[in-house]
Amino acid sequence: MANSVRLSLSKGSDIKMKKHIRLRVNGLERELEVSARATLLDTVRDQLGLTAAKLGCEMQVCGACTLLVDGKPVSACSYLAVDADGAEILTTEGLADGDKLHPLQEAFMDWGALQCGYCTSGFLLTAKALLDENPRPSDEQIRDYLAGNFCRCGCYGEIMQAVKKAAGF
Amino acid sequence: MRDFEYLEPTTVAEACDLLKRYGGEARPYAGGAYLSIVMRQGLLQPKALVNIKKIGELHGIRCDAKDGLIIGALTTHRELETSKVANEKFPIFAHVERDVANIRVRNVGTVGGNLASGEPLTDLAQVFMTLDARVAIAGPAGSRVIPIEELFLDFYHTSLGDDEILTHVIVPPLPPRSGVEYIRFSSSSVVDKPCVGVCIRLTLGTDDALNAVRVALGCVAPTPLRARKAEEILSGQRFGAGVIEQAASAAAEECSPTSDLRGSERFKRGIVRVLVRRAAETAYERAIERR
Repeated sequence: MANSVRLSLSKGSDIKMKKHIRLRVNGLERELEVSARATLLDTVRDQLGLTAAKLGCEMQVCGACTLLVDGKPVSACSYLAVDADGAEILTTEGLADGDKLHPLQEAFMDWGALQCGYCTSGFLLTAKALLDENPRPSDEQIRDYLAGNFCRCGCYGEIMQAVKKAAGF
Repeated sequence: MRDFEYLEPTTVAEACDLLKRYGGEARPYAGGAYLSIVMRQGLLQPKALVNIKKIGELHGIRCDAKDGLIIGALTTHRELETSKVANEKFPIFAHVERDVANIRVRNVGTVGGNLASGEPLTDLAQVFMTLDARVAIAGPAGSRVIPIEELFLDFYHTSLGDDEILTHVIVPPLPPRSGVEYIRFSSSSVVDKPCVGVCIRLTLGTDDALNAVRVALGCVAPTPLRARKAEEILSGQRFGAGVIEQAASAAAEECSPTSDLRGSERFKRGIVRVLVRRAAETAYERAIERR
């Protein structure tokens, strides 16, 4: 612990704790300085410029901020960046393989599974985690897994179809 | 959110010492599912968070022939949902956890954090209560084990000391001919916190009388509670529609729900009555099957 703590003086008189963390983001090693209260979402968006994940409800309900931490979907708006130290992070920017989109991204486009797109990053990553865990999910399993991601444009039917298509149905 | 010191002890003793040093101004941190919300809302502003996730002994679930199931406090909801060890003996856990919040919360939220938060709108506590679970608590002076009912004092208020950590939940083996059922009722979306959650455990005696009866109600009082009158009505009786209806009515009377966005007081009492009846029927069927 001690070797990862660094004190740095901020503008005011208060002493703020900055922590040094290492993340592997979309396959790249990143070293960052963050304050203890910094969320993983703010860190990834503001320090790394990866803005696909969005701030939505800020209380782990809507799923717009979903990121995969060690392969598991989490609400990045409520996940401390310091707590992700050493973890593998996947954002939607890391889904494609070079110029080749991920099958889920292709399927979302084919089915028109979005309107405004605010929720899409969260849906893509959650669906990826589902298919990694369970490559041939039933309709019920897809619905259960995605139940915590909200699409206020109401594209749920198309999203279901897109996930099924990506799963090879 | 105000900034805070972030500490990562690797042993329980070290964690308790750190908590003690801050004299009530530090909080144990695990998944952050609860703390991140209340800290952002300014309801809690600890000077330090003591991340206990690097403490190995708080992880994992194991089964012991004598003590039963020992669930480490850092077990996530998702781990409990998918644990073969836990669900082989207690399939009720997979049944309950499947509907807890959403996949993201289940991936980070822990069993220990869920109980230690004292959150009244929850599911697991009722299940543990009907299973006669105990919780192990460590502090600077050593550890203690208490029945889970003694953990909950009031809304978001538990009997944990400022320098104590809930380390394990211990679920004793269920006697043969036992059946458990939990029913969660949500009044809005499936991912909302429950409006009412009822758990019932029935254990049958040799003459098919209800030998051990546990009725636990959640979300309808400042803490999860045992419906003792309902339990008394059922104890020693043979299972039947009349006696179940009496117990269900008693349970609806002995809770103290408040009217809020999830339903009025009267509505919630009605839901309690229906859920007690339905859960008792299913628990009884399961007890009979486990002859």
